[in-house]
Amino acid sequence: MPTDHYLILSFALFLIGTAGVLLRRNALIVLMGIELQLNGGNLALLAFSRQLNDQKGHVFAFLIIALAAAEAAVGLAILVGLFRSRQTINLDEATLMKR
Amino acid sequence: MNFNLGLIPLLPFLGAAVLMLFGRRWTRDTVFIVAALAIGAACVVSVDAFFFQLPDAGGAGLQDVVTTWIATGDLHIDLAFRMDALSGVMCLVITFVGFLIHVFAAGYMADDPDYARFFAYLNLFCGAMLVLVLGDSLPVMFIGWEGVGLCSYLLIGFWYSSTANADAGRKAFITNRIGDLGFLLGMFLLFNYTGTLSIPDISGAASPGGPLMAPLWLGQPVAFWAALFLFVGATGKSAQIPLYVWLPDAMAGPTPVSALIHAATMVTAGVYMIARMHAVYLLVPSVMAIVAIVGALTALFAAMIGFAQNDFKKVLAYSTVSQLGFMFVGVGTANFTGGIFHLVTHAFFKAGLFLCAGSVMHAMSGSGDITIMGGLRKKLPWTHAVFAACWLAICGIVPFSGFFSKDNIIAGAFGTEIYGHDMAWVGKLVGVMLLLAALGTAFYMSRLYFLVFSGDETRAPDKIKHHIHESPSIMVVPLVVLAIGATVIGFIGLPGGLFNHPDANLLAHHLEAADIHEVEVSHGLEWGMMAVSLAVAAVGILLAMVFYRGGYKEPARAFAAKFPGFVRLVHDKFRVDEAYDFLFIRPIKWFSRGLYNFVDRIIVDKILVEGTGVLVDLCARLARAVQGGDGQRYMAVFAVGVALLVHFASQPTLPFTKLKVTQTGRGVEVDARRGKNAPTRPLEYAFDFGDGRPVVKGGAPEQRHDYDRPGNYTIRVTITDSGWRTEDTFKEKVEVP
Amino acid sequence: MNPVNAAAAGTSASPGDTVLFAILAAWVVGFALLTITRRNPVTAVMSLVATFFGLAAIYASLSAHFLAVLQVLVYAGAIMVLFIFVVMILNREEVAPLALRPMRLLGVFGTAYLLWVFANVVGVNTGTEKVPTALPESYGTVKEIGAILFTQFLYPFEAISLLLLVAIVGGVVVSRSHQKEVAAMRAAEYRKQVHELAEHDYPGEGPPAAAAGGGHH
Repeated sequence: MPTDHYLILSFALFLIGTAGVLLRRNALIVLMGIELQLNGGNLALLAFSRQLNDQKGHVFAFLIIALAAAEAAVGLAILVGLFRSRQTINLDEATLMKR
Repeated sequence: MNFNLGLIPLLPFLGAAVLMLFGRRWTRDTVFIVAALAIGAACVVSVDAFFFQLPDAGGAGLQDVVTTWIATGDLHIDLAFRMDALSGVMCLVITFVGFLIHVFAAGYMADDPDYARFFAYLNLFCGAMLVLVLGDSLPVMFIGWEGVGLCSYLLIGFWYSSTANADAGRKAFITNRIGDLGFLLGMFLLFNYTGTLSIPDISGAASPGGPLMAPLWLGQPVAFWAALFLFVGATGKSAQIPLYVWLPDAMAGPTPVSALIHAATMVTAGVYMIARMHAVYLLVPSVMAIVAIVGALTALFAAMIGFAQNDFKKVLAYSTVSQLGFMFVGVGTANFTGGIFHLVTHAFFKAGLFLCAGSVMHAMSGSGDITIMGGLRKKLPWTHAVFAACWLAICGIVPFSGFFSKDNIIAGAFGTEIYGHDMAWVGKLVGVMLLLAALGTAFYMSRLYFLVFSGDETRAPDKIKHHIHESPSIMVVPLVVLAIGATVIGFIGLPGGLFNHPDANLLAHHLEAADIHEVEVSHGLEWGMMAVSLAVAAVGILLAMVFYRGGYKEPARAFAAKFPGFVRLVHDKFRVDEAYDFLFIRPIKWFSRGLYNFVDRIIVDKILVEGTGVLVDLCARLARAVQGGDGQRYMAVFAVGVALLVHFASQPTLPFTKLKVTQTGRGVEVDARRGKNAPTRPLEYAFDFGDGRPVVKGGAPEQRHDYDRPGNYTIRVTITDSGWRTEDTFKEKVEVP
Repeated sequence: MNPVNAAAAGTSASPGDTVLFAILAAWVVGFALLTITRRNPVTAVMSLVATFFGLAAIYASLSAHFLAVLQVLVYAGAIMVLFIFVVMILNREEVAPLALRPMRLLGVFGTAYLLWVFANVVGVNTGTEKVPTALPESYGTVKEIGAILFTQFLYPFEAISLLLLVAIVGGVVVSRSHQKEVAAMRAAEYRKQVHELAEHDYPGEGPPAAAAGGGHH
């Protein structure tokens, strides 16, 4: 398959992830959107890596997966803390400013 | 010759400054001593300068250049003073009479809480007046001019807690200001055409073929307009028609103020100014005619108003306006010496009259209403004696001073030759008007005398009558000095034609040195005029005697009964103030109110002030759209920002740029550069000239092309950025002939 | 057709390849869209897991074998399990899933534009075919990746382990319950006081016998 197809798919994934991050109120879904974005990036990396026959892309993607794990852990911990203090995970209510 | 003339105005200024800073904490005696010392010292210096220094100085007189004031481009003005015979005479009068009035005021204002402020202002005024007369250039004179106007405002409204007084002060200042505009215009014209503002230089340039005779407007030369504008300034300062209306209202100020400013000194500034600028005036006899006619008209008009005034000081105020008219006739008929002579005698007898008014009002517990006075000659002997002397002087009875000066002017009016043959009637007309005015003067002054002093009983109610007493000696002594002056000062101006002894006129002799001349009057005319003016004065006094001796007698009552409307009109000063209010003040007020409502309320308050607030609010709302306290919004803004950045960075051309197409005949040169700096990435240009020829591609932003056939072509230039893979297209229509 | 043997380099894709890719792409995009649009978080998590499986298949078709496995093991296996735990604790439904506010939509469109520019820059052209280069047999294997990872990318490897450590510690710290901690401290305080009093009253005796102490409760 030509690289461009994988690229378009990765862009689509990234866009969907961004839409999830920006447009959802539930913090959990937002975190999932972030995961989608990261996966989009991973896909692009692997596509280019195959085209250029360079394994470094794989290593990079590996590190990104590890990073995503760390980030998900901490993010969820923060989310739990937020829930404890506000009893809600609705991001609209997680602001101190007046509406 | 560097004599310290600057000292003469400086001393009173110093006195004023010291009194304004510390006067409130000092005792009354200290304040008076400081003030009197200041003006007394100035008097001494003036005397020394005039009698001992001046004779050696020659025609130009003494000069004292203090410092360079303005030196830019063509304009060079020094802060300089000059004393020649003319300004020397003025200095003597101002300082001497000023000193006497200071002494009188010490007694008159003894109970006033603002004692120190009064003397401070008085000193300030004297200083400003001295600057006016000693100024060597028009701007320095103007400083004094404005300064006396300011002091007049401050002193008229001295008891400012009463609105009427404050209004009178304001009226004086504003009317003065209108005149000052004329002064300024005259000054500008003179500077524009002679290039200098120094009075000796202007006088030097004032010759029949000189720059001042260049034609200006309506066929009249520059000198005509300059002299006319300066005269407008004089009418404001010296209370002539049409700007005299402030002087009667100015009587709201304390009596010493009326005596000093509105009798002896400030109001004479206009006369002085015309005498000073005589070189310019002599070039344009038409303006001099205007001056003389206005003066005569004012003299007559004011005299008439004086017939029916019931306030002591108001009578004197209109009398001042009238006498100033005499002075203007003097200078207007080229009888400058006569005008100055009358100025000097008037200073003495009018100041004396005013101070007597003060004395009488002091005795009458502050009232100036002559309808309740009478019989005061027994109760106020000294005041009566002084008043009598000054009264006879103003009526023009020999040998009192007023006789000589008035006669000088009237004879000069008849005998003047300045107007040439065609306008000789002006002199005669003016002379006749003055004779009538003299008749009126004698009448109303005698009316005043008889109503106040003659008779046996005072018409006042008892509670005032019991307090009538003579003034303390501190007030009487200056009165007596002034009376002496009013009596004898006339002899400095004995007319030369009287005994065919030309040098008998001491004053004229001195003033000759300053190039101030008088009118040569023939022997016969001189004697004739003397007889006529004496007769006129006698008639006036007799008439007043019949009407008012001992009180309001039968003929007075009959007249008032027969012509009540006329009497009321005269009493209301011919309703001139009301007319001014209707013609000028109301439209101005209406205009100001409109301006306030429109400009101030709407433009400034609504549009600018509130509008700024609304604008800020809008900007804030706009900014708030970006910041919501909401993390996802920040991310969205971030994304939008990055998108915009990338968009503008990736375009090959800046927005709003156009192609530069220069056309020369059939050829066309197209420049598709996007600015002065070279592009940061290599760009490719494709030029399509619209005439079917193949597209020119390359890396050069400029292309030349020649068209084969005329017509309308559209040039399309496509610029491609190979890095970002974006492109822009420009279209430009071109017409090939 | 077998992606593993894509050593048959220099060839353009066969129709089978295209079909497979199309199916997998549709699977991935479809489940991704489901993820962000579901009201119920559990559904969303399940959709995301499905997306990851699809992505793993795509990775495999790219000859990235190791990463495909890693994706299933770590991403779908570990991370998503973590998500599910939290979802179970905090299961709340939303009133309206998507907040379609103007600024946020602008953000999405901005991102789309950005991606389009990048696409232009990179020269994405769905018409023409880019010929992938010939791939060696050991492409995408554990051995190769390990070789690079432990030699060239040693520092990043160690750094990422450190990062994981930090994440663990951070996670524990952040999610501590303040109230429980305060209660625990109070309890410790109380026990200490009791111990002191006991020492005071009965010095040197030590704690009572376990049986006696245990019998109370």
